[in-house]
Formats: sequence, C-alpha cells, structure tokens
Amino acid sequence: MITKQLLEHIEGEASVYFDIKDDKVDFATITFPHFRGMESILKGKNALDALVITPRVCGICGHAHLMAAVRAIEDAYKNAGFEIKLTQKAQKIREFTLIMEMIQNHFKWLYMVIIPELVKLISIKLEKTPLKGAYAASLSAKAIAVFGGQWPHSSYMIPGGVTSDPTFIEIMQARSQLEELIKFFEKETLGISLDKFLTLESCKDFNGFSSDLTNLEKGLIETGMHTKGFAKDQFIVLGEHGFTNSSKLKGTRTFGINSKYVSDTDAYSPQEITYAKNALYKNEYYEAGPLGRMLSQSVPLIKNMHRRYKDSAYSRVMARVFEIGYLLEYSKILLDNFDIDEDSVVTVTDIKQISATGIGVVEAPRGPLLHKIELKNGMISQYHITTPTQFNIGSSTPQTPTPVQQAMQGLAKKDALFIFRTFDVCSVCTTH
Amino acid sequence: MHSKKDNKKKLLWLQGVTCNGNTHSFLNLPYLPLLLSKIELLYFPTMEALYTFEEISECKLSCDILVFEGAFDPELKRNDILIQTMLEHYSKNAEYVIAVGSCASFGGIFKASAPQRNSGLLFNESERTGPMLEVDQKIINLSGCPIHPEWLGYTLNMIINHQKILLDEMHRPRELYSNLAHHGCTRNEYFEWKVDAKGFGLKEGCLFYEQGCRGPMTHASCNKILWNEVSSKTRSGTPCFGCTEPDFPKQNFFNTKTNMSIPEDVPLGVPKRNYLTMAGIAKTFHIKRLEGKLIDYKTTP
Repeated sequence: MITKQLLEHIEGEASVYFDIKDDKVDFATITFPHFRGMESILKGKNALDALVITPRVCGICGHAHLMAAVRAIEDAYKNAGFEIKLTQKAQKIREFTLIMEMIQNHFKWLYMVIIPELVKLISIKLEKTPLKGAYAASLSAKAIAVFGGQWPHSSYMIPGGVTSDPTFIEIMQARSQLEELIKFFEKETLGISLDKFLTLESCKDFNGFSSDLTNLEKGLIETGMHTKGFAKDQFIVLGEHGFTNSSKLKGTRTFGINSKYVSDTDAYSPQEITYAKNALYKNEYYEAGPLGRMLSQSVPLIKNMHRRYKDSAYSRVMARVFEIGYLLEYSKILLDNFDIDEDSVVTVTDIKQISATGIGVVEAPRGPLLHKIELKNGMISQYHITTPTQFNIGSSTPQTPTPVQQAMQGLAKKDALFIFRTFDVCSVCTTH
Repeated sequence: MHSKKDNKKKLLWLQGVTCNGNTHSFLNLPYLPLLLSKIELLYFPTMEALYTFEEISECKLSCDILVFEGAFDPELKRNDILIQTMLEHYSKNAEYVIAVGSCASFGGIFKASAPQRNSGLLFNESERTGPMLEVDQKIINLSGCPIHPEWLGYTLNMIINHQKILLDEMHRPRELYSNLAHHGCTRNEYFEWKVDAKGFGLKEGCLFYEQGCRGPMTHASCNKILWNEVSSKTRSGTPCFGCTEPDFPKQNFFNTKTNMSIPEDVPLGVPKRNYLTMAGIAKTFHIKRLEGKLIDYKTTP
C-alpha cells in the first residue's frame, strides 16, 4: 500500500509517497505541490530586472540566484562579442557574499532541521537549539549586508561588478562579523579551534572531544547512518569558484564537466500533480552539494570518511558541517587579499545592444544552480532555471531512481525520512 | 499543549504563495530569542513549534496573532486544505492578522504569476478588494520584499505590550512607514544639489536621477532602521526598488523613467512644477566637493 507523508521544515513542503513492503521502503516518489511561475514572470522584461526578480525565487539562497542571473547576463554579453572582465575586487566581494549565504544555510539546516530530526531517533543526549542556527545565520547575513546592503533579497551584483564601493571600515566590519562567526562555530559547534578542526584526518579524531559536532556524529553512528542512505556515489560540481573544482566524480575519481550537458525532465509523480522537474547530467542522475564539493577538493577528512562510509547519510551530513569550516577559512583569505584601489564595476555596453543567449552557473548551498537566459535587444525572451534540489530530490521511476529515491530504498520509514532531509531540500527553489 | 499560567500570546505563522524570504528575514532579528520567550509559537515554517502542520491544518486550534506570509491564492492548498479555509478559521478568534511582506500585503511579486487570482489579504495592489475584508480591522500590513526583521519585531512587541499601533491608510504602522526610504540615505546631499551618480559601484552621487531609485517615493524606514543592523540598498549603491509600495514590482528597476529628461515621478508630496524650478536652481550650483570621489585611495598619499 502506498502511504503519503507530508514533509515540513524543508524550505517549503513536499509529500513523499512510500510504498512499504515488509516494513521497509520498497520505493518512494516525491511531490512538490506548489508553483510560482518565476520563469514566465521574467519573460518580456529588461534583462537587468532578472537581478531583482530572481533573488525572490528563494528566501534562503536568493543571493545564489542573483549571482547565477548576473553570470548568465555576463555570458550573454560575451556571446554577443562584448566580453566583460571583472576586477579581482568585484569577484572577491561576490564570492565572499555567496559563501556567507552558504554558511547561513548550513547553520540553519544543522540546528533547525538535522539535530531536531536526529533527536527523535536517538537515545544519547543531543540538545535541540534551533536558535543557535538563527544566531549564526544572522552573523553571516550581516557580513553579506556590509557589501550587499541587505539579506535576504539583495540585488547588488550588476553586469560588470557590484554596486557597492566598500571602504576599509566596511571590510573591517565584515572581518569582525567573520571573526564572531568563527568564534561561535568553535565554541558552540566544534568544541575545538577551527584550525584544529580543519586538520582532522579521520572520523576517529572525533573521539577526542565533546561538542554539538561530536554528539551529532555519535547520533549518526547510533542510528547506523554510516551504513544507510547510500545514493549514486557519483557527484557533480558545476559552479566555478575559488573554493571549488568544477568536476564530475565517480566515487573519488574526478572527470571534466560541462554545464551544456545538463538537461531536465518531468518528475514522476503518479499520485499527485507535482511542479518539479528532475535535473540530469548526460542523462544520468548525480548527487550535488557539499559532499561532492569536498571530495572534489580532496579534503583529507572527507576522503577518509568516504573510504570508510562511502556516500552514506553520515558522510553527507558531516561533509556539510565540514564545509562550514572550510568556507570560513576561505573567507578569511578573501577578505585579507582585497585591493581596495580597484574599481567595483567596469563599464559595459548598454544591455539594449545584447541579443544572445547566456548561462550562469554557481554553486549554491545545496549544489549547482543554473540560469539560462535568452536576450533580444536586452529584453528577456526565455529564462530557464535549474536548481540543486532538482538534481538530488528528483522523482523518477523504479528503473531509474534519483539520488534521494535510491538513498531511501530498503530502509525503515523513519530512517528514510531523516535521510530525505540530509540532502537539505529546497522546495521553493525546485518549484520556481 | 498550551501553558495557561503565563498567558502568552499564541502565534501561528501560515504561508501562501511565497519564497520563504520573510521567514528567513525574521530569523535575523537581533533579539529573536527574547521575543520568542514572550510568545507561544504554535507553528513556524522553518523550525519545530508546538504543533505540526498536519495538526494546524485540521483547523481545531486557535491563535491570538496570525502571521501570513506570501500572496493569497484562493486555489492554494497546503496539506490538501485550502489556505483560505485555514485563514478564515484562524482569523476568527485572532486579535491581529499580520500580513508579512509585500505579497501578503498587496500581492507583490507572486501576484505576477497569477494576476487574476492572487492578491494580498486586504489589498489587491492598492485596491481594497482582498479576501479578508470582513476582518479588516485586525489586519496589519508589513509590506516589504522581504519584510525588515525589526518591523515585525516592533509590531509583535507592541501587541505583547498591549500598545496601540497607529496605522496608515494601507494598514501599515505609521511608526515604520511614515518615513521614506530616502530618510537617512547617505546620498541625500547629492539629492539636494541634483548631482547624479555617474554609474554604479560608487559611494558618490544620487541614484534617483538615472539609476531608478524610488527612495523619495517609498514609505519605508530602511535607512533609519538599517538592514541586518549594518546597511541598506542605497548605502550599498543599489537603488531602492520601492518594494514596500502596492505597485511593486514595477519594471526597468535600474532606470529612472523620464519625460524629456525630467523624472516622471518626483518626490512624494512635492508639486512637479515647483520641484523642477527648485531642481533647476540647485543644478546651477557647482559644489566642488560633490564633483569628485570622496576618498580616492589611488591618488591620496
């Protein structure tokens, strides 16, 4: 018999239809029931309006949408013969604010979703402290606002650079938010210094101290999450940034990748209308997000974790927490190497001159986000968005399961529900 | 279960057609833990509260403060229950219905996806034709895309402290919306002397003349109560897009609409002819200090 389960607290809602046989999930399909029509809203508008409208796709990763939109427009400039060369300063500011958005997302996911859900399954003591997540996220948001004016829904990236012109005092403000965030992460999450955390090489190293992180790790082991939740063991990283290597991974082996091979297909949802589409790379399903990103960077701890526990729910969760530390460290480097003399924006040709297509790809918190734009005399004739959750939480047939469908298969329903959340689902992005 | 002894206000947060932006903005409130300690959270979209959504959607409970985020769509269902049914049920006994964000207030960005159907709770853009006319006296509109966290913090604290909230004709608290986004803008001197920003990426110049800034026409305290405690759109060189007004979203956000190089919209409450005369005089001044960069790191020794 197929039973419906409503999932909340996942950036919107989803329904999972479980087919249970012998108390185990035989198969599950996923429905995203809400739709907003962002792509049609954009049609017929000035290309620059995408910089205001697309951040409104999502309240938690709108900044990633802004960056994908500006990159798509800049790519259209390039394809029309007007290549734009950003200054290092503009690039670094954009990267810094993107990273801060990723970090706020990961903190909220950890403290508002993963820990409360894990607590339901375990016997060891793990305190639910959702407001820790909100506090850390608010520090990240402040750091974004220093450059971007506000968060959520900033629109401060424009073709050629950024609208802000930070002075030293603003860089110091951002640096001070970052220091505060690192202190919080060390004291409240890790229980050890960030430097030490980043040098950990094995899962055994978690035994030496006690903190939210180690309690989380114990909980994952207690629930057997290191032996459950295996997906495809193949990953994609598409966004080009200083903190990633865009690549396709099969296990830990890396291969080249090109975003032109991304396609989408209608989701399979026999019980209810869904507005989701599945995203594929060369017609195959891949997992997207922090685990793939950290493997692509050959982070020793994550490689070791993968050797022991493969792409289990354990590895997926721990990689996302590790990525917070990794990105905090990278943010310091960005802010410390900032040439304030450079221009914030370079002059670009009037958008009305641009008739071309463009693609903008970024790594959003949950994985690759792609915006494709088609411009005629600077006006949008087509706009197409592919989001990370479409890669991870697709809903396909039993013959070709998506990463999440595969990860839930053969498990008790309560485990499957937790594993669903380990992918950090964004329903609002999916049904843009 | 509800604790009766402390008599805290019960708050329920429902969502219509939304991006979750207001939820996430609210989570940035600096005194969030203190505020949440003063209320009883029945349901909240991103974190556990007293009840699950399944329990809430049965419409058997009641709340004192109903917060609604997102545009109203009469056909929208959550957990197979029409959101309209939930709104009708929970607004019946609520003391206040707070529409958070421009979608819930006026239709906002998600009115555009279904213009004939979607609206705000009380207003459809600026027309008073929303679905909740029957309880209009309870409705507080906190427009903005998204809502500024401290605007909701203020409203909830006023309610908790039993203080009367003065509203404007669009049901927005006067304390928050009698200001214009222009107030407190660091570019005001450039506005006074009609000095345009030469482009983006600059601290200098006013964004009203060329870059589409709606600051002088927009009721919002973004430059008085700073975003995330540190900044605002105009401070970071981005024009104000007028996101608190019923006509948001307009088009061509980064361009000022002009007729014969005169801005089509002039600052709120100023007769156009007088404004143009005054602007013409101001433009004749050449204030050297406003002509170059404020700080030139390249040339200053």
